[in-house]
Amino acid sequence: MNNDIPVLQLGPQGEVMAHAVDACVHCGFCLPACPTYALLGDEMDSPRGRIVLMKEVLEGALPLEDAAPHLDRCLGCQACVTACPSGVPYGELITSFRGWSEPQRERSPLDRAKRAAILKILPAPRVFSVAARVGQYAKPLAPLLPAALRAPMDLLPERVPAMQPSAEFTPARGKRRGRVAFLAGCAQQALTPNFNAATLRVLARNGIEVVIPEGQGCCGAAALHTGARDEALRLVRQNLGAFDPGDYDAILSNAAGCGAGLKEYPVVLHGLPDEERARAFAAKVQDVSEYLGHLLREGDLERPMPTSRPLTVAYHDACHLAHAQKIRLAPRELLRAIPGVTVAEVPEGDLCCGSAGTYNLEQPELANGLGVRKAGNILSTTPDLIASGNIGCHTQIQSHVRRQGSWVPVMHTVEVLDLAYRGEL
Amino acid sequence: MTVRRRTPEKVALNTTSPAPKPVSNGAPDNPLAAELTHLLGPKKVLSARSERLNYRYDAIQFGETPLAVVLPESTADVVVAVRAARAARVPIVGRGAASGLSGGAAPLQESLVISFTRMTGLTVFPERREARAQSGVVTLSVTEKARPHGLIYPPDPASFRTSTIGGNLGENAGGPMCFKYGVTGDYVRALEFVDEGGEVHELTRGAYDLAGLLIGSEGTLGLITEASLRLTPPPRYTRTLMASFPEVGEAAEAVSAAIAAGAVPSKLEFMDRACTNAVEDFLAIGLPRGAGAVLLVDTDGDDLETVEEERALVEAACLRAGGTVRRAATDAESAALWQARRSVSPALGRIRPQRMNEDIVVPRSVLPDVVREIRALGDASGLPVVQFGHIGDGNLHPNILFDPRRESPRAVHDLAHEIALVAIRHGGVLSGEHGIGTMKRPFMREAVDPVTLGALWSVKHALDPRGMLNPGKILPDEHGDGAHAHP
Repeated sequence: MNNDIPVLQLGPQGEVMAHAVDACVHCGFCLPACPTYALLGDEMDSPRGRIVLMKEVLEGALPLEDAAPHLDRCLGCQACVTACPSGVPYGELITSFRGWSEPQRERSPLDRAKRAAILKILPAPRVFSVAARVGQYAKPLAPLLPAALRAPMDLLPERVPAMQPSAEFTPARGKRRGRVAFLAGCAQQALTPNFNAATLRVLARNGIEVVIPEGQGCCGAAALHTGARDEALRLVRQNLGAFDPGDYDAILSNAAGCGAGLKEYPVVLHGLPDEERARAFAAKVQDVSEYLGHLLREGDLERPMPTSRPLTVAYHDACHLAHAQKIRLAPRELLRAIPGVTVAEVPEGDLCCGSAGTYNLEQPELANGLGVRKAGNILSTTPDLIASGNIGCHTQIQSHVRRQGSWVPVMHTVEVLDLAYRGEL
Repeated sequence: MTVRRRTPEKVALNTTSPAPKPVSNGAPDNPLAAELTHLLGPKKVLSARSERLNYRYDAIQFGETPLAVVLPESTADVVVAVRAARAARVPIVGRGAASGLSGGAAPLQESLVISFTRMTGLTVFPERREARAQSGVVTLSVTEKARPHGLIYPPDPASFRTSTIGGNLGENAGGPMCFKYGVTGDYVRALEFVDEGGEVHELTRGAYDLAGLLIGSEGTLGLITEASLRLTPPPRYTRTLMASFPEVGEAAEAVSAAIAAGAVPSKLEFMDRACTNAVEDFLAIGLPRGAGAVLLVDTDGDDLETVEEERALVEAACLRAGGTVRRAATDAESAALWQARRSVSPALGRIRPQRMNEDIVVPRSVLPDVVREIRALGDASGLPVVQFGHIGDGNLHPNILFDPRRESPRAVHDLAHEIALVAIRHGGVLSGEHGIGTMKRPFMREAVDPVTLGALWSVKHALDPRGMLNPGKILPDEHGDGAHAHP
């Protein structure tokens, strides 16, 4: 659409934003894909509506604080990107916009403290683990607490497991087929340590040696998507220093959000000195299911043991796998490779579960509405197991499925594979 | 005209539904918005500018930011809104999902926009093979709700996942299925509308076909709030084929030949090279990028032998015209091909950010001449001109793509005019399914004779004496022409 965005005044990110606005033809094909449009049914809370709002703010025609409530409600799920025939890079637009606008936001001291706390605790596994444990014991008090504290507590599992730091080096078992670097992730180390343990076991069993490079940090996605651009840049540079793409066949993540974050580095550094380095780094990044999917297709994946009885696995597409990274087939293929497993497709599968990074902490009401809907859709397939490839979705889906009275296990795709290898499925 | 007030049906998305609704932030900044907020409450009225400015566009152009937006949940809400706008002497623009391609839903002046997206009540009556739908029901959901009863709703505009029944009625939308099954208007048994005075009417197709008059009137004669839609059982068998041709005229020749040979495909669509490539950039499903034009054809019916025979007839015509034919082997493959066709229109945004969309219909006998003439006009103009559309109906969508920073809007308009004249010269009309809106309004005097235009004006004056319903659309100004909007 026509715009008068002052690209030169906005710097390299201005170019990214103006390009995205240009590309939108306001056709409305994004409307049915958008979770907030599905809940609210108005144009301001739809992708094309938000694009217009961002355009107006960037042009100086609309005050930021007028547009902010609608932009804040965007989950960043990028389902609209999948649905958009015009190729609008909406994800790059909203992320860049948040980075540009956050320093100009006037937030209440409480709001600022909450955001700072989220961004401090989330990327620090040890701190997160302590916080989660405190939260676990405080859970009975939840009804007495303000909403801001209730939301994160609602999502905590009944029992927060002990931290299990992973070894820096895991050797390949049998014939060595490859060498990868692994991003250990933040919250999931505290909440679901078995995600990493299972990932390392599955990779090793398939002849892949795994290095967890020292000095790595948070991928930066949480900071980036909440608009803390400086913090994001710091983390991006830290990881570019820690991972040398030349040393590995691939750089793996087992969290969809983190993997998408790593693949975004060239956009974050667009127009900055390290852009080329970021490009070389991002070219090596793969989701663990993507990597194992290649092995499967080449006939190199060790065959899992059959299940003890026929199992229906409801596979949930994490937005940051399906929409941001376009990975849909590989996780399904991996699950289907287990003899005895049938993969069930979830109705409204493309609609976000409501977790979306820090969204369920910042927009608990909408996140809850989506969580209820997602859990209902998943349970309608009467699954024996629920699998997904992202810690955020995992927490959200587990908590909502339990609230709907179901005790069906919720697992990472690789955990399912790991159990199958061990004959425990 | 039978006048009857109806109790609005249950609506799915309303202020009592569990999802939180945004409440307009800030005090209404004009008397109409304030009055509507007072009458309907803040959840049904958008008055802040940040909310209103998103109700000034459709899928083709931007108009003026409305003074207020009402999101009615019932016909009664529409009545309240219409009466308030009338008292304030503010024009009214009805709006569905605003996926229209003629500027129909974009206000040309400060107006009240009534957006029907929350009127989503839908009931299926299988024994009558009928659905009763409120205006805001998304088109595809009618078939989704009817399918468990062994029924479908055939009209299928490309935007059917987004567009609403009200919008479809307003534009008399078509779609690929319309070659064999007919357009939206053919499926309407009855409809309810609110007139410019705020009275509610229930129309059937008996006596004067006033329902027929409202259908395709683009919100200039009344606001359609509900409709009874005819449902049909789906055909038992469907077969899909894709044929590619070195040159666009050959594709049109194959169409004429196939129809002359007696084939009645359920869908017969085409897209030229630029369209195919724009869609392939989006979907990457292996469309033939090098072909000058591609035909997509479905044959269907309850007798498999006949369905296969018809496909063979089409196939033979395509081969004779110089085409290469590929049969869709699976349902998934044919679904992918149809998704490709449905994506053409927005995918053109990859070529240029803006476009002028034509919607001409010409007799099938002249199709090869028309598509070749338009191709030649495009080549001579230096502007990217692409063609696609429901070629089986003779309904073509030549699109002029442009970037206002690089290409002159004047040249675009002149070329659009020349293309419209090609259609009129060959005995065609300006609009098949997208309406006249503002985009084709400037060509109306050439397409419609003055006496007939006078009759259309008489109808407009009878139903909208004050000219308050979607002013500046369809009919050229009686005394000169001043209305403008931008894409």
